[in-house]
Amino acid sequence: MPKQQPKKRTIRKKSQKTVSKPRTELIGPLAVSLRSVKKRYTLHHEKPTFVEKFFGQTYNEQFMAIDGIDLSIPKGQKVAIIGRNGSGKTTLLKIICGVTKQSQGDVRVNGRVVSLIDLEAGFHPELTGYENIALNGLLVGMSRSEIKERTPQIIEFAGIGSFIDAPLFTYSEGMKLRLGFSVAVHADPDILVLDEMIATGDANFQKKCFNRIEEFFHQNKTIITVSHVMSFIEPHYQRFVWLEKGKVKLDGGKEVVAAYRKTWK
Amino acid sequence: MKHHFLDQFWFEFVWAMTLKEIKARYKKAVLGFLWIFLNPVLQMLVIGFIFQFFVPVRVDNYFLFLFTGLLPWNFFSYSVMKNTPIMTNERSMIKKSNFPRESIVLAVVFSNLFHMMIAWMLLLLVLIGDKVVTEHHSLTQLTDYSIRLLYTLPLIGWLTLLTTGFSLLFAALNVKYRDVNFLVQAVMPLWFYATPIVYTLQLLPEFFGSLLYLNPMTGLIELFHAVVLMQPVYDPELVILDVFLSVVLFFLGCWIFIREAPYFDDWV
Repeated sequence: MPKQQPKKRTIRKKSQKTVSKPRTELIGPLAVSLRSVKKRYTLHHEKPTFVEKFFGQTYNEQFMAIDGIDLSIPKGQKVAIIGRNGSGKTTLLKIICGVTKQSQGDVRVNGRVVSLIDLEAGFHPELTGYENIALNGLLVGMSRSEIKERTPQIIEFAGIGSFIDAPLFTYSEGMKLRLGFSVAVHADPDILVLDEMIATGDANFQKKCFNRIEEFFHQNKTIITVSHVMSFIEPHYQRFVWLEKGKVKLDGGKEVVAAYRKTWK
Repeated sequence: MKHHFLDQFWFEFVWAMTLKEIKARYKKAVLGFLWIFLNPVLQMLVIGFIFQFFVPVRVDNYFLFLFTGLLPWNFFSYSVMKNTPIMTNERSMIKKSNFPRESIVLAVVFSNLFHMMIAWMLLLLVLIGDKVVTEHHSLTQLTDYSIRLLYTLPLIGWLTLLTTGFSLLFAALNVKYRDVNFLVQAVMPLWFYATPIVYTLQLLPEFFGSLLYLNPMTGLIELFHAVVLMQPVYDPELVILDVFLSVVLFFLGCWIFIREAPYFDDWV
């Protein structure tokens, strides 16, 4: 990524200075800005019911998934969020994507967020490929005119062929995955949210996916990922945020990964 | 990425979800459209056959009277019953993406509205046909009657408002209190009999008739009967109470839904 080099360096310098401290200084326009964000969940042991509440038998067990996080992600930065299971990574991503809302604090997100985590959420088995593109396109944030314009590219990229007129229940699992991925990557995201495993379809399509994601890395897209698999993410990202028990433990460059590795046995 | 109410994306989204509801329904059944009309007709025949022996309703045609009430009632009850557990039924979408949550509820209401409108048109044809065949109406009388039938449009607007209000309210509540669904399932058949669909309020003891106006569907169904079959309204002043109740319920439903919607993911 030669074009990105100078920008990268400045960001890293600053991030090293502010390791594990809240990043308050602004580095260009921000894509994501979180200010003392907290997310509280109420634990249920059974389905919540009205009768229970009425008789005062509610459980008030609470769980802080995110316990005061300050995080500013400048536009174009590639950030990996690392940490153990249950450290709050997924909750943080859900808040950034707008799937759920923080209990406290301020969240600002500039631009279109597209998540490549679950791509089949909006699919309906009875509808055709075309109809599903129209619906899933809206779900990832495209407008109707954008969808109309990009439908040929989406179909072409997914390699669905004549199945595009057939209802989705006739598709193989691989075809559904391909269609979902294709819709999402054509949404032209400003902020891309990735999962560690992007296992989509056969080897051929997987290569196509990686190329596409690689393209996003070269463009000035903000990319946020959650991961356990260090070897895969390390070379691609500039900044690593280590979460533990809902708090930022370390925030910085590759040294964060090294420190995180030491906690492994 | 925040969604704004009533902007272009919002409308596109609600429209697309409604189309999905309508299309998905007719892809399952070849005779899908036929069922729109067949379902209330069968209901009408069964209820009409039994109840005409029990309920001495003074109307020209008890079957038409039943049908006029059944169509709006079915729209209301199907929509509310389908919408109450819908947030947990659609959890795969809610847990994965960010979209205006109310679109799920509105799509069900609007697709059912679309179905009801088709059946309604057919009913109007039958009504006009009935006037020609049994009452030998002249052309001017027919025109007058047709114009009168236009009054059902604002009534359908009111019905949609009320249905949306209850749907939003129950859908939002059922996320946190799962027994709301059981409650709605249990109450709906009773609600049917608390609404003057198979009977008229004039048949009830005086106090009881007025009490039923606490159910906003009462005034609404009465007006449907009044417009289409020229039935007398039991208490016009209390009908205004029902309009008021419906508006309050609509805003209550919107308010609770909008307040709870960002946290649906935590509960489903």
